[in-house]
Amino acid sequence: MSAAESDQVPGMKFYVMVWIGLLAIVGFEVFLTYRNLPAKTLLASLLLLSAVEAGLALMYFMHLKYERPRLFWSLIPTLIFVLFMMDHIWADAFRLINLRLPTP
Amino acid sequence: MSELEMAAGSGHTIAAHAAPHAVAMEPSPYRVGSGKMAMWLFIIADAATFGACLFVYGFLRLTSPDWVRPFAFSPTIINGMIMTFVLLTSSLTMLGAVLAAKAGRTSSCLNWLGATILLGILFAVLHLREWSGMIREGWRPFQNPMGGSVQFGAAFFSITGLHLLHVISGVVAIAVIAIGYKRGRFQASNVEVTGLYWHFVDLVWMFVFPLLYLLNSH
Repeated sequence: MSAAESDQVPGMKFYVMVWIGLLAIVGFEVFLTYRNLPAKTLLASLLLLSAVEAGLALMYFMHLKYERPRLFWSLIPTLIFVLFMMDHIWADAFRLINLRLPTP
Repeated sequence: MSELEMAAGSGHTIAAHAAPHAVAMEPSPYRVGSGKMAMWLFIIADAATFGACLFVYGFLRLTSPDWVRPFAFSPTIINGMIMTFVLLTSSLTMLGAVLAAKAGRTSSCLNWLGATILLGILFAVLHLREWSGMIREGWRPFQNPMGGSVQFGAAFFSITGLHLLHVISGVVAIAVIAIGYKRGRFQASNVEVTGLYWHFVDLVWMFVFPLLYLLNSH
């Protein structure tokens, strides 16, 4: 870690605030689960909240925010691209929905 | 941080620091040590692995009209919330260890690492207790005691099992690093790299808990 980076890295007080934020998001996820939302809305909400949690953990707990930006731009878009391709192409997802078997 | 890593990070060639016969190397474009870079690459690869598992789980759900949602708020979701609290708190204690290691406070770092190990073990125990309860009820990777799709057990046990394996591996890795750090064999950078792995394990759980537990609750 460079001297400049070590100056930027926050202390324990800041990490405790992020930890409280993450716990609050988990609590909100559980709250939403029991609100009887439509399945698609609930799935989208939980995925969005999980992505926010993951972003906080990546940027602050894993210090990605304090590394050189090129590390972020090399790793994260690549991962998102791979996950996107998996979801949309790898398993032929849209065709699978139409192959759904009838209830026995 | 090793001399090689520092040299790479500060923009100097290795040749300036090492023996005259050493090979001149370009500085790292990322200004991170080789260990940290390797861990980041492992994390990205492992994230794709977990992503693949979760996508497969999603496809199984989509194609199974008789998918079951077996988890009651008590005890399963409450247990899951406690496990989430334990794992998130262990990330906080790991950050304490990294900060203490960088400040050169060895005993404080060891205390934080010890707390992280204990929390990791607690998470594993809670998880195994939940598994044993499900197995007593008749759940197996390809057996569903509630009727309906047998794929639930396969998805649940494989994804949570893979995550649990990561937690147990992390606990062992942290213990090894703690012992080495105490003996002076490992440095603050080793603690930091192990911390990256531990936070990743926490990050994966942030997807596993809502997708496997909350979406399967009734």
